[in-house]
Amino acid sequence: MHMFALKQKSFALILGSCMLLASYTSASTNVVLKKNVDGSVIYPRTNTHYSLYLLNKQNISEFNHGRAPTLNEIKAWNKDVMPDGEGLPQGQGSVEQGDELYSAQCLSCHGDFGAGGSGYPTLTGGQGSLKNQLLQAGDEPPMRTIGSYWPYASTLFWYIQSSMPFNNPKSLSNDETYALVAYLLSVNEIEIEGIELEDDYVLTKEKFLKIKMPNVDGFYPVSPERSDLKEQRPPLAQGTRCMKNCKSSNIVFIKNEITGFDPKISTIKDLAKIKNKSKNAAEKEIYSQSCAACHSNDALGAPVLGDKIAWSEVLKKGVKLVYKNAIDGINAMPPRGGNMDLSDKDLENLIDYMIKVSK
Amino acid sequence: MTKKQKDPDIQAPNRRDFFKKTAFLSASLIASSSILAPIKITASSLDDPAIIDQASWGTKLGDLVDKNHYGLPSPYEHNNVRRVHDLLSSGDRYATVSMSPLHQQEGIITPNGLFFNRSHSGTTQVDPHKFRLMIHGLLDKPLVLTLEELKRYPSESRIHFIECPANGSTGWRGPQFDNLQFVKGMMSSAEWTGVPLKVVLKELGLHKNAKWMLAEGSDNSEMARSIPIEKVLDDAMLVWGQNGEPLRAEQGYPVRLLLPGWEGNLNVKWLKRLEFSSKPWHSKEETSKYTMLQKNGKAINYFWPMEVNSIITSPCPEVPWSSLKKGDIIEITGLAWSGRGTIKTVDISLDGGKNWIEASLKGLVLPKSWTRFSYIIKWDAKEKMLLSRAIDDSGHIQPSINKLIENVGVEGIYHRNPIVGWFVSNKGEVKNAHVRS
Repeated sequence: MHMFALKQKSFALILGSCMLLASYTSASTNVVLKKNVDGSVIYPRTNTHYSLYLLNKQNISEFNHGRAPTLNEIKAWNKDVMPDGEGLPQGQGSVEQGDELYSAQCLSCHGDFGAGGSGYPTLTGGQGSLKNQLLQAGDEPPMRTIGSYWPYASTLFWYIQSSMPFNNPKSLSNDETYALVAYLLSVNEIEIEGIELEDDYVLTKEKFLKIKMPNVDGFYPVSPERSDLKEQRPPLAQGTRCMKNCKSSNIVFIKNEITGFDPKISTIKDLAKIKNKSKNAAEKEIYSQSCAACHSNDALGAPVLGDKIAWSEVLKKGVKLVYKNAIDGINAMPPRGGNMDLSDKDLENLIDYMIKVSK
Repeated sequence: MTKKQKDPDIQAPNRRDFFKKTAFLSASLIASSSILAPIKITASSLDDPAIIDQASWGTKLGDLVDKNHYGLPSPYEHNNVRRVHDLLSSGDRYATVSMSPLHQQEGIITPNGLFFNRSHSGTTQVDPHKFRLMIHGLLDKPLVLTLEELKRYPSESRIHFIECPANGSTGWRGPQFDNLQFVKGMMSSAEWTGVPLKVVLKELGLHKNAKWMLAEGSDNSEMARSIPIEKVLDDAMLVWGQNGEPLRAEQGYPVRLLLPGWEGNLNVKWLKRLEFSSKPWHSKEETSKYTMLQKNGKAINYFWPMEVNSIITSPCPEVPWSSLKKGDIIEITGLAWSGRGTIKTVDISLDGGKNWIEASLKGLVLPKSWTRFSYIIKWDAKEKMLLSRAIDDSGHIQPSINKLIENVGVEGIYHRNPIVGWFVSNKGEVKNAHVRS
């Protein structure tokens, strides 16, 4: 491919300190700089200098700070899963169990069957779309989903277990994570060894290791010995330095003005009006930290702060039950909005505030 | 509250008083006045009330010295702030980015409160007493460090920019935002203080087959990335200081990884764990995100350096030339940077790229750091299409927009570094515009 045409050649001479300054201060020098795998210049570290920075000259290197971690400590933190299955725990879960979990904990953000819709990532569809280019309005864009784009299922397991659900991560067991992976593969119509993942399909570690994602070959490979890496990291495009009578060009302006910056764009230097110290400051703070992720977006199903109709509907069951549901959790809402530090009283105050704002 | 106060000596502008008072006035003022024409010291329309009138702040006490235990900018500068736009978020304002106001940025260091903020699940507040850094995997001596222990290593300080690889990505299909802040504000620069990672690793007995390092954050999203060992052993650092104070929470307090010149997200914040392996991990942020889809439907992953780039910061849409008079002398200035090395040259074009002039570099010229450039012109009140083109010491030259799109298409999202600039109207208004051939 032409974009990789500019290969980084010679890993030339190690620069002596006498050549150090010349290598980056003189435009006329012909010194060949040593380059790293990313194509960037490696500046040598001498006893006195790192590029223009001076260094401590004592050259002491035995520090002996810290201690060795225990095996349990490493186990507690080493939760990553690699494409070859290294780090994948034992466990199992069915598509059906995954479906239930998905409806309860994922659907509010990722939509029915992973179809998206509320600004959060779409998880399904898009297979065959990766060559699309959205050049002008009306063109179909490429869709990067689990099914169309993700190269390895290991990423899915690791990411779901460490980072999802968004407002309550690290809460899913190994079995629950297997179930969710099974469900997401199923809605993406991904088969394992030619077998469709029906509702009663049970995903285990052994079967997981057989998963081949549709787009596994869709990335330029990185091999451990790095021979290909050196060729892949030159610039995406190299310019030319024309100085006089260069190619003439057209000027293209913005077609549609974008507004909605927060705060509004301004460079005025004046004394801003002092805002009155707001009431309910504590509730506002808690709301923004623990509730807003779901209660500020009507696509998520939660009653949106300020939505009179939605809140009058909620209050039909009586404010006591609303308190209770917030404490115990309901549908996609985790107990205490996922913030276990909140007391019952905090939640009641918070709900009173949300009701007040939504009247 | 501020009654206009005037110097009693020059308050009464009548002729009778004049001769009485000239004795008290300076010789230079007399020399510049005509004795024949009755001069009006304060009534002249040439006099600037900002000079003639007593300034209100000059006649009363200022704020108490200990009013703010942590100092704040002038209240007049309340518009010099980061800004967000919901177009750039993924569903909410936890996983989003705030843009740095580059149009009011001076020099090559961003004040900590204006540093752009990209997070995948909100700004995490880590308790420094419970901070632990674990280093394990393919090495003889795995290690756990507390913050205090980490800071016992001898420190070094370096000035480096950090840039999100999506900076400028709204421009793939044409100009979109009519301001510098949203065109290039996904980057900032600081002096970082910490210890080179290779100093820490030196006594841990790294195995020969340790080719990759996983860096993982402790936040809600556990941001994790695979780093090749070559970068780890070149200029990677563990940093705890930002412009002379502890890292801001937004920048990963108490410790982040610093990979000079590389994609912002690789500089993992709220750092928790470094693991060494013979293979890369293919984490979520190096497969589903931060990979570049090409025209042929295949994607590049593990592309790290922020490429050579530049932008004119003055003028720009927020800082136009509309108050200039024809003939005024004015400086064109901006920032150039490269994650592959040191800036060598910046060229400027005033005519949309037909002709170019080499600009001066100003101030410190450091590796993988913002570099200021400057070119002074006389404003002729004629339309201009301003462009800047940077070249670094790795030999990389900024490409044209057409050249970049020809190579990679428009769906790569990341690492968009073509030559861009601003259209200046004959009235001095400045607009975002692209030059296409």
